Amino acid sequence: MKTFKTMLKVEMKLSLRGMDMVIFAICMPLVMVVLLGIIYGSKPAYEGAQYTFLEQSFGAVSTIAVCAGGVMGLPLLVSDYRHKKILKRFQVTPVSPAFILAVHVVIYTLYSVISLMSVYAVSKLAFKCEFGGSFWGFIGSYLLVMLSVFSIGMMIGGLAPDSKTAGVAASIIYFPMLIFSGATLPYEVMPEIMQKIVSVLPLTQGIKLLKATALGQPVEEVWTAVIVLGLVMLLCTGIGIKFFRWE
Amino acid sequence: MVAAIKAVQLSKAYNGVPAVRDLNLTIQQGEVFGLLGANGAGKSTSVECMLGTKTPEQGEVSILGLNPVTERRRLFERVGVQFQEANYPDRITVSELCEETESLYRTSVDYRELLEQFGLAEKVKSPVSDLSGGQKQRLFVVLALIPNPEVVFLDELTTGLDARARRDVWKCLKSLKESGLTIFLTSHFMDEVEVLCDRIGILKSGRMIFCGTTQEAVSSSPCDTLEEAYLWYTEEEHADENI
Repeated sequence: MKTFKTMLKVEMKLSLRGMDMVIFAICMPLVMVVLLGIIYGSKPAYEGAQYTFLEQSFGAVSTIAVCAGGVMGLPLLVSDYRHKKILKRFQVTPVSPAFILAVHVVIYTLYSVISLMSVYAVSKLAFKCEFGGSFWGFIGSYLLVMLSVFSIGMMIGGLAPDSKTAGVAASIIYFPMLIFSGATLPYEVMPEIMQKIVSVLPLTQGIKLLKATALGQPVEEVWTAVIVLGLVMLLCTGIGIKFFRWE
Repeated sequence: MVAAIKAVQLSKAYNGVPAVRDLNLTIQQGEVFGLLGANGAGKSTSVECMLGTKTPEQGEVSILGLNPVTERRRLFERVGVQFQEANYPDRITVSELCEETESLYRTSVDYRELLEQFGLAEKVKSPVSDLSGGQKQRLFVVLALIPNPEVVFLDELTTGLDARARRDVWKCLKSLKESGLTIFLTSHFMDEVEVLCDRIGILKSGRMIFCGTTQEAVSSSPCDTLEEAYLWYTEEEHADENI
């Protein structure tokens, strides 16, 4: 416990000094909320809808931080620590790989949760959004989506041979995920054919789940999404830990 | 008493080129052993094979009776390591690096005292990247000593240090040796191993061509000083490998 607390404290400080997560995980989702708020105001999501467009987007925007931490932050950090031989130094101490990964998963979880809370605060205070869904349903879905996206990051970090490859792989996954799964560009404004294509992305499933729980809608496909996300999480975490290399 | 370090027939090659050949070594507890050799002679590879950070093709290693790969976590509670190249995250400060290292172990010594001993007390709040080469080197010796180890591995311990700083490091290591610490070091400096080491080993192209005390190294060569003897061993094409 002492080890975990100290490592978390030190690594969190280093991460904050880096600023990139503050920009991509905390500021960027807020910018999105403000933009959507200014563009759509309190317009309903569609003619006769019970909720506004912004309320509908809440679940999606709350995943921007998850993507930034999971698909960019985590894999780049792991490969950078390997490249700089920091992991090698850890290898000659009693700490285990899973422990080091866990510390960083907690750090990116903190960023995600802070982003979620700030996105909620701004939507509610500035744009009078109401959260009409199930609180625990939403929190449960959010955790599932987060761990599933983080596991993709752990897999990239574990498999990438060097930090350049990790950077390329992370970008190839990060940008399409951010744009096409509905996290930034709303799914509802996409043409139908595009909606069908992007449905294969795990985060699209995750965002559907988050939207449904945030708006209090019955979800027909909820189990598909839960199963997809659960499988991604198990598979990628397994691969990430199995292929973990110190050097 | 179990040997502090025992390597049996250790061999390691990179892409078929042998880096360490058939290394046999036993180091008793409390002993200070220095491994000498030119750049590329296989010093670091030997150290890494012993620590388990590189996998030898052949041979066995035990440190304090433990296997460095399968019993890694138990072993490294009791063993400190300083690698040749310094490795630390960007923007970390001296105190953060020490604090994090300290937290990894069940028992540890106060890093502030070690920083004091190694003349780094004023640098405690500085970013590690702002330290000079010699200061970094000393900091990494401090990190290796934080777990209050029984055995410490120091790879090129004083490379990049000025004369004063080297003497200071020696003084610290001598007092640690008196308290019973086993030290395995690699070095380029003959004066250093003469002052510190009970025994030395000389590596040439991955093979140990001499192992014994510094006096033996001199007396079994036609030379008068260790430096000359070292050059004689490493340059002599037909050196007797069984000395």
